[in-house]
Amino acid sequence: MPESVIAALLLLAALSASVAGMGWLALSMPVHAQQAGMAPPSRAARRALRMAGAVALLVALACCLAVDHPTMASLVWVMGLTAAAVGVAMTLAWRPHWLRVLVPWAGPRTARG
Amino acid sequence: MMQSFRQAMAWLHTWFGLVLGFVLMAAFFFGALSVFDREIDRWAIPSTRFDPQPMPSYEKILRPAFERMQPLPATVDAMRPRVNGPMPERFDTVVSWSAYTTHRDPVLQLFAGYEVPNAKDPEEAIWAEATIDPRDGTPLPNDRLKVGSGFFYPMHYGLTLDWKNLGIWIVGFSALMMLVALVTGVVMHRRIFREFFTFRPGKGGLRSVLDLHNLTGVVALPFHFFFAFTGLLIFAATYYFPLGHTQLHDLHDLHAEVEARQTGLPHQRAGIPAGLANVDAMVAEAQRRWRANDKAGDVGFLVLQHVGDANGYVSVYRAGTDRIALVGDGIHFKASTGRLIREDPAPTATGRVAEFLTGLHLQHFRHWLLRGMYVLGGLLGAACIATGFLFFVEKRKRQHARQGQQGARVVDALAVTTVTGMVLAALGILVANRLLPEDLPARGDWERYAFWGTWLLALLHAAWRSAPVARGLANPAWREQCVAIAVLAPLAAVLNWITTGDHLLRTFGQGYWPVAGVDLALLVSGAVAALSARALKRRALAGPVASIAGAETGHA
Repeated sequence: MPESVIAALLLLAALSASVAGMGWLALSMPVHAQQAGMAPPSRAARRALRMAGAVALLVALACCLAVDHPTMASLVWVMGLTAAAVGVAMTLAWRPHWLRVLVPWAGPRTARG
Repeated sequence: MMQSFRQAMAWLHTWFGLVLGFVLMAAFFFGALSVFDREIDRWAIPSTRFDPQPMPSYEKILRPAFERMQPLPATVDAMRPRVNGPMPERFDTVVSWSAYTTHRDPVLQLFAGYEVPNAKDPEEAIWAEATIDPRDGTPLPNDRLKVGSGFFYPMHYGLTLDWKNLGIWIVGFSALMMLVALVTGVVMHRRIFREFFTFRPGKGGLRSVLDLHNLTGVVALPFHFFFAFTGLLIFAATYYFPLGHTQLHDLHDLHAEVEARQTGLPHQRAGIPAGLANVDAMVAEAQRRWRANDKAGDVGFLVLQHVGDANGYVSVYRAGTDRIALVGDGIHFKASTGRLIREDPAPTATGRVAEFLTGLHLQHFRHWLLRGMYVLGGLLGAACIATGFLFFVEKRKRQHARQGQQGARVVDALAVTTVTGMVLAALGILVANRLLPEDLPARGDWERYAFWGTWLLALLHAAWRSAPVARGLANPAWREQCVAIAVLAPLAAVLNWITTGDHLLRTFGQGYWPVAGVDLALLVSGAVAALSARALKRRALAGPVASIAGAETGHA
């Protein structure tokens, strides 16, 4: 694969990891979990989601660093987090159940929807 | 104590935010446009729609172009009062010839400075400027308004108020207060993490406006902070504390001499004529040295100092596209022999931080994703300020209506002008750019008039329609100006098609992104405006929504 394609794929991976990470962080909060039609997560589940979120954001950083000079990568990462947070917030506002894609193990949708 | 501290912060946030928000809105919106200023230039000047070019050969292209240059008669006339005796017919003693390009510029800008005999300040040179096609050296019109880099960008940092740099001081002060607004905003916002992802459009009224204000402010906080801060830094270094040129003029001259001795780069001409070695060979040598240090080797800036003199030297600077820091890595050669005089040393740690911070803001790097994200950051900032205005108005308008006050009405009309009106003004200049005759004298001035005229109309319209606000209702100007955007934005794209033949299918097909991107952005803005107009209409039909009484009391 040419280098530019690999770079583009890595940046795409970084953005995806940022969105997933922000999504998991949001779902670790009871209010947002309920918005997405899930039962309020248990204490252990909340901690697990927070961990998953943090790890995903670090993976995003690693992907950014693999593509660009560190000074550039850090900015791409921070701006990627901003874009991901806006995306997750807007999804929660208009299509909250889409976030359930991030937690396929959470079972069928509850009645609260 | 804590409560009163918080109230003091809220007062500061509200009132400074309101007054300077109008300025900051322009800084954010035109800043977002400036991220793609070169691309907007291509859209606005169709004769320059070709791919970016590397710095061309000096011997083949640049030298003949430099030799053709002379200051414009208007420049000569402007210089006349600062010279003892008459001005010469031609200027032949070259102080410097330079050429500047970036990785996004198809055209090349040339600058030439000449010594002026008997100038009252012997250091003052007279300047000429030219634009050429770097592929063959053809001169391109230099008087066409570069709507992106020559208008939107100056709007961003100085509102185009050039008189005594007034605009730069206003924008700088606003940036300082922006930092204050960020800090006070964080102090006022009690649930920063708990409501990090919170936007409740269904709640209507104050609540959803405040949600959006907090969301756009908090998630982009690093962006807002660093851009206000680095913007101030750049201003401080360039305009606010140029001590070397104002207070310490004599010391400055002495410093220049000392520096010349240390670096081996002569400050003045020797007065002995000398030839010029092969400049292309010097450029090739500079690129070889950069490559050896693992740095991308494109030349961004080429300077020939004291041309034709024994003290002449050639400086080659790198276009820093591969990292954030704005670095030149200049390499200097003796003009007459091509011998290496000096390589700029690596910066100190402080210098490195400064280069990173200025580079972060001025973005000479090649990274289209990051550029796109900067636009997002800028638009989030604009949305944050706009929702701040809305919150201010929504919170007060019913009370003002009861008391017969006009405050909310005035602020709302100004908010319409700075939100939708500013977009309309930007569309006004683009439409005028496509409609005005190609050979109209002072065409650029007419384009500027179209910008300011459209904005003035938007202000008058907003004020004329503002009466309902005084009765606690919404100003219909919001919806009407959204409709105007929904019409004008696609119209600009269509006019581009009609006047140049470059429609989206063609520019996409050829992968010519500068023009395709601007057209696409126009269409998307039009669509967003149309959707907003529809939503506003629905809300107007549904009647005034009761505001949520329990909005955050911390907000004044």
